[in-house]
Amino acid sequence: MPAFSNSSWDRRSVLRAAMGLAAAGGLAACGGNNGRGGGSGSGKRLVQYFHAYGEPGTEQAVKRYAKAYREAGVTTQWITGENFESKLFSALLTDNAPDLFEFHPQIQLVRSGQVADLTDLVEPVKDDFNQADIASHTVDGKIYGIRMIDDPQFFFYRKSLFEKAGVDVPTTLDELIEAAAKLTTDKVKGVFLGNELDAVIRPLIWAAGADTLDEKNRIAYHTEGVKEGLVKLRKLFTSGDLLLGAPTDFWDPSALNQGLTAIQWCGMWAMPQMQQALGDDLGIFPFPKVTDAGAPAVYNGGWSMFVNAKGKNVEAAKEYVKWLWIDQKEYQEDWALSYGFHVPPRVSIAESADKLKSGLPAEGVRLFDEYGHFDNIGFTQAMIDAIEDVVADCVRSGGDPEAALDKADGKVERELKKLFG
Amino acid sequence: MSTTATRDPKSPAPATPATPARRRRRLRGSSTFNFWLFTGPFLLGLAIFVYVPIGWSLWLSFFDARFTVTPSEFIGFDNYRYMLTNDDFTGSLVTFTVFAAFIVPTTWAFSLGLALMVNRLRFLRAFFRSVFFLPTAVSYVAAALIWKMSIFSGVRFGLMNTVLGWFGVDDIAWLASPDPPWYWLVLVTVRLWLQAGFFMILFLAALQNIPQELYEAAAIDGAKPGWQTFRHITLPQLRATSTAVILLLLVQAYQAFDEFFNLLSKSTWGRPPLVELYYIALGENQDYGAGSAGAVILTLLICVVTLLQGKFLGFGRGDESK
Amino acid sequence: MGSAGLYAATTVAALLFLVPFYLIVRNALMTDPEITGEEWKFFPTDIQWGNVTEPFDDPTVDFARSLWNSAVVGTLHTVGTLLVCSLAGYGLARIPYRHADKIFYAVLVTLMVPTAVTFVPSFVLVSSLGWVDTYRGLIVPGLFSGFTCFLFRQYFLGFPKELEEAARVDGLGHWGAYWRVVVPNSLNFFAAIATITFISGWNAFLWPLVIGQDPSAWTVQVALSSYMTNQTVNFHLIFMATAISILPLVFVFLFLQRWLVQGIAQTGIKG
Repeated sequence: MPAFSNSSWDRRSVLRAAMGLAAAGGLAACGGNNGRGGGSGSGKRLVQYFHAYGEPGTEQAVKRYAKAYREAGVTTQWITGENFESKLFSALLTDNAPDLFEFHPQIQLVRSGQVADLTDLVEPVKDDFNQADIASHTVDGKIYGIRMIDDPQFFFYRKSLFEKAGVDVPTTLDELIEAAAKLTTDKVKGVFLGNELDAVIRPLIWAAGADTLDEKNRIAYHTEGVKEGLVKLRKLFTSGDLLLGAPTDFWDPSALNQGLTAIQWCGMWAMPQMQQALGDDLGIFPFPKVTDAGAPAVYNGGWSMFVNAKGKNVEAAKEYVKWLWIDQKEYQEDWALSYGFHVPPRVSIAESADKLKSGLPAEGVRLFDEYGHFDNIGFTQAMIDAIEDVVADCVRSGGDPEAALDKADGKVERELKKLFG
Repeated sequence: MSTTATRDPKSPAPATPATPARRRRRLRGSSTFNFWLFTGPFLLGLAIFVYVPIGWSLWLSFFDARFTVTPSEFIGFDNYRYMLTNDDFTGSLVTFTVFAAFIVPTTWAFSLGLALMVNRLRFLRAFFRSVFFLPTAVSYVAAALIWKMSIFSGVRFGLMNTVLGWFGVDDIAWLASPDPPWYWLVLVTVRLWLQAGFFMILFLAALQNIPQELYEAAAIDGAKPGWQTFRHITLPQLRATSTAVILLLLVQAYQAFDEFFNLLSKSTWGRPPLVELYYIALGENQDYGAGSAGAVILTLLICVVTLLQGKFLGFGRGDESK
Repeated sequence: MGSAGLYAATTVAALLFLVPFYLIVRNALMTDPEITGEEWKFFPTDIQWGNVTEPFDDPTVDFARSLWNSAVVGTLHTVGTLLVCSLAGYGLARIPYRHADKIFYAVLVTLMVPTAVTFVPSFVLVSSLGWVDTYRGLIVPGLFSGFTCFLFRQYFLGFPKELEEAARVDGLGHWGAYWRVVVPNSLNFFAAIATITFISGWNAFLWPLVIGQDPSAWTVQVALSSYMTNQTVNFHLIFMATAISILPLVFVFLFLQRWLVQGIAQTGIKG
């Protein structure tokens, strides 16, 4: 078995021989070429990770920006769907780690020394950023990531179906439940919150007048209002008016576009696709308040660019990030507005964005400004998972909300203790 | 093992002339040399690609390894303590037990039933055998896709909901809620579909190896064909195969991952141990220490079950099958 | 159960087994509005043959390339596994050595360890060898299957000693006897193991997912999963890609089935 007991170089050439004629080209492209170390082309080579955006044209756009950069060759890994996190995190453990990657601001990345300090890049233009975005990327006065896009999430609904059922836009969770009942027919369900309902847990917490963590990084979601909201959500879940088991999830506009539901929780990114499918038969509203003490809520999610502090090309990666996400406003605008709608985090770009100035997009921006809640950098993925489990435990399984919240408290406390002592 | 019947006994190749090298191999120790010649490449690969990662996991399980696989903080058995008091993980062991208690006998009975049916067919036997065997060729990824998006989709255009709709039953969201636990129907059917054909083939092969004389003798003794001969001849004759099938099913059930991972996202129920460990280690938690500790616990458990099973049913000693 | 009853029961079971295949083909040849429409249609009104080429035209996923990768990985995985594991199985079964038992148990233990669990260290290891995005990385770590080795050992334990002894009398050593007598007389069994190994290589998902960072190194399963999550869900495209991904294996099956059944009869886990 010489092919497998010699050096790797021999193995490679034996494999190549074994592959025969047609394979040779394939192997040459695949064999050991992971986009680094080649030294060919202009200077440094960088690798960046993006999750796969659903909107057509996004991948080409990211690669087009990278190609325009002269100082280094930038390779883009476009990672599909729900595999992004596991692929990103396992890659970060290795020598093949990306030099820069997109993710959400989470403090464990800072604490473990995974992401580089980008303060000096952002500082000169700090005032031109949405201040909430700056705050959500800041730890102890240092800025660790650059927001590329803000993605408000709210409800989309079919105006025609509302008229037919004689329903007004709901302003409380109770009204939403009533509306769902009226809108449900044997072909169309009243409302879609995603198949797992995890997307609405944070909006529900905010709309119940609570928060994920307070300013001292203590649990703030465990309140009577949140419990009340969970009970109501359970009622909606069992009412038969909620669309469940749809082939696509909340982030995809298909459920609304295909007429499976009258109301859908989704993000502003999908607005152009919905407008294309439904025309004017489309409206939006925030997550309605859960209790009298609460207020309507919108989740201002989004994606940010980070530099891998443990990578081999930290300085070069920082230069690229500065070039693209600080200096190249044209590309930033293209990224936010040409493929699905996103709110540009740069104030100057947002102000000149004509596409967001009128009609439904303008309404979306209003909801973003008025009711939006941004990420809290101290609320890490493990904690998000914990409160998402609350939805699974009490809304979907019918368990006791108090017990579900207690279970989440245990996990969140463990994280908080590790992060803040 | 009566294998000569099915193998075509080609005559051995002509002898090569004697060489000094051959004589040298006959020296004492040649069998040791040959042993390593044959097993060396495999054992080397096993050491590098299987034992090193296992050892690494074992090592990680004693460290505080978050966001790193080269940790420095030794914490003894803390990870084990955490995992054993972690309701999600212990719950997943319960999930597995329920799953195994159900899927193992079901698959066993189902594939045996298929084999018995196919074995009795006189026409179209190869055709039916192919039909039952064909799903083995389908990946879990593809099967999960068909099950989730077309058969058990919770909306009106899913096949099951369409069929139920003909009888006036409302759409059921099969995977949305654990109450009623429809998700088990989805998980069990997909596994049965993928696996039954393979085990059917094993049983079919075994059935064909049962000497016909046994049935003839039983007929002379007055045993009625049907349940009696099945109970007293077929089943005992299939003992070795059954044992092997049960062992394989058990190990596969322990290692169940793909369909659970693909079909049940964001649930807190119906998670077998591997899915739980995946979320602890590879999910955003990235707690490789705790994940490895869980893996060690799981491995020990599988070893114990296998040894017990081997003790009771006598499989794995290897040489007994003659 | 009478003959008619037997055939009726078998036919019903067979039809149930074929339902998923029917759905794949039905959905693959329909338009999306037809699939998601309010009324169920058993067959496409107009068969959309144009769908067949659609996966190959998709600019975001190089589907043809992923099929090719799967074929290469599946083939080399099969050849390599058969070679390495059959030799080891033979050595463990037939060549006397003091520590053979201990070594065999060391192999058996690896069967108990779930691979998905040693996954991260394996990945870091393979990555530090620089094998990410390479065929080596996709193939080599999977070659050393304790299970396949175990199957070969069980099989060789039952291999008729007389044939080997005849070869030894003719002056062949272990190596010569293995290649000239044992292997040629075991082709059924090799074919059976080859089929099973090829299927598992073709269908593997988690490992190729992480090793194939670059789309040029994707296998067909990874490409399939990307269709599931990538774009706005495109039903006919997903099902057409699934159909195409299954087709090669269906051929392999129909072609090799006879050997497979005979071979499995010899796996040593029979009555």
